[in-house]
Amino acid sequence: MTERRFEGIGVTPLSGVGTVVWYAPDAELDDPPEPDEVDADAETARFEEARESAREELKAERERTAERVGEDEAAVFDAHVQFLDDPQITDGVSEQISDGLPAEHAVQRTFDRFVEQFEGMEGRMAERADDLRDVRDRLVRVLSGGERVNLAELAEGSVVFAERLTPSDTAQLDPERVAGFVTVTGGRTSHAAIFARSLALPAVVGVGEELNEVEDGAEVVVDGTDGEVIVDPAEETKQAAADEEEVEIRSEPVSTADGVEIEVAGNVGTAADLGPAADRGADGIGLFRTEFLFLDRQSPPDEEEQYETYLEALEAFPDGRVVVRTLDVGGDKPIDYLDLPDEENPFLGERGIRRSLGPDADLFETQLRALLRAAGSDSGGNLAVMLPLVSTVEEVRDARETLDSVAEDLESEGAEYAVPEFGVMVETPAAAFMAPDLASEVEFFSIGTNDLAQYVMAAERGNEHVAELGDYTQPAVLRAVRATVEAAEGTDVWVGMCGEMAGDPDLTELLLGLGLDELSMSAVTVPQVKQAVTETDTEDARKLAEKALSAGTKAEVRRVLTENTQS
Amino acid sequence: MPERVVTVVPEDGLHARPASVFVETANEYDSEVKVGPEDGDLVNAASMLSVTGLGVSGGEKVRISAEGDDAEEALDALEEVLSTPEDEL
Repeated sequence: MTERRFEGIGVTPLSGVGTVVWYAPDAELDDPPEPDEVDADAETARFEEARESAREELKAERERTAERVGEDEAAVFDAHVQFLDDPQITDGVSEQISDGLPAEHAVQRTFDRFVEQFEGMEGRMAERADDLRDVRDRLVRVLSGGERVNLAELAEGSVVFAERLTPSDTAQLDPERVAGFVTVTGGRTSHAAIFARSLALPAVVGVGEELNEVEDGAEVVVDGTDGEVIVDPAEETKQAAADEEEVEIRSEPVSTADGVEIEVAGNVGTAADLGPAADRGADGIGLFRTEFLFLDRQSPPDEEEQYETYLEALEAFPDGRVVVRTLDVGGDKPIDYLDLPDEENPFLGERGIRRSLGPDADLFETQLRALLRAAGSDSGGNLAVMLPLVSTVEEVRDARETLDSVAEDLESEGAEYAVPEFGVMVETPAAAFMAPDLASEVEFFSIGTNDLAQYVMAAERGNEHVAELGDYTQPAVLRAVRATVEAAEGTDVWVGMCGEMAGDPDLTELLLGLGLDELSMSAVTVPQVKQAVTETDTEDARKLAEKALSAGTKAEVRRVLTENTQS
Repeated sequence: MPERVVTVVPEDGLHARPASVFVETANEYDSEVKVGPEDGDLVNAASMLSVTGLGVSGGEKVRISAEGDDAEEALDALEEVLSTPEDEL
């Protein structure tokens, strides 16, 4: 049998093999009976009963989702309850019942009218149509006593195929039994995608109508890395996917084959990411972005709120280092209370440390106060503070001066505090060139490869026309990384890397060869990178890095890497 | 009938959580509460469907009106919801 491949959007870098189970929740109703055969009072009572059962179900699913995925996702169920109680719905259903329809038909017709109305609209309102369908199907199912494919009791190794998966659907999925899922519709930010990432399930979304050709019961590989669905896969395709799937989660720190311990940490963008990072086996947090604390609000968070958040991060990783990056914003971020300038080129403008030493000096001071107090708490010994977008030695000295004066203030107030490890992000060519001088100012470097590649190559991130140029395997980027590591050699300064590059398991050996001590990435690839670390021999890695550093083109770098994997 | 024009602060506008809280609040009062565009037709503020169907984005102005014994209280509460950023709701 030949393989059939379908392209979609991969939403987690995971692969799975399993058996297709089509999930079609739309209930087909029989034709309604004659109106004079319908007892309107009895139907109204049935509708009321169904509403109560649906409300109970929603409550239970809300709780389960809050626990497994997070409060934001769980809030969807509140909206569902509101649709259940919506006067337009209840009035509509009553009207249809008094016109002689049984409750299930009345529900279907009433909801369908609104589904159509919302489907015709754009963006967020079109998403509401999904919620309405979801509530409609729930009520119709309860009313007709029908069973749908029970997502909670799928056979192990099922790959769920669906037109779309609603929050109610995913709330029932038992991640232990599901090998992955594939949907016809949906994008990277669809509910199904968010769900897949938080539970680390292989998933491909937005495949399109062609997916309907795939039969129930077919064998399938879900390749979330390449966004591919492979039906009737060849043995080697399955093997490749299974190899990837078998990566175990190691919650202990790992060492290379020759015994060098390497810290593998997680990048965290909100407090809700802490749990998944720990679940995937991250040793600590290599990049705690603090922007989320400042976005979507009318005034900056106060010292206490920040202190609590930093404490939460420290407590989530009692044995691991937590590297907190100070506020990194610029003209591309909408924060009303900061009065961010409208700049011609915000990525080269007043952002990161430049603002912290300029217009946002007060905020910087408050943030440092919260951080120093967190460092002085019982679990604060592993805290590290990192400055974003450093390009000069003076910036580091000025920031250190602020830190010292904050420490003095706390001292004179008699507050509990400690001075945390202090470091810089290396993400500008200037910082890479000046690394030897910066090394005597700080305790660590963390190379931010996304921005470093953008600035070294003068190729905007996000601009697909220059994506090839801005790739982190460009020789110029590798050399900037090496220059940074080299500057720290022979000193006490440790060098980490945060950014996409650090999370690419195909590059782990190269990065260790370049001399990095720590790698920090999105939680989902932590197990793959830990696995790659254990398979690396540092001497071989060093030789690989040497070859890669002498390559003059990106193609040559890629060839060096491919030859290495094959040998 | 008392009414007010209020700027919608939550970035998402009257969708998702802000809409939920808005509808919930409208349901807490006996007065008949309505909402709509500044110069257009008003809809039932106690209906999630009607409210989200308006398609109001953050930063837009809406008109809210209330009729009943607790009309002023209802308007105060709804204005409060509309003026609160999403993450503080």
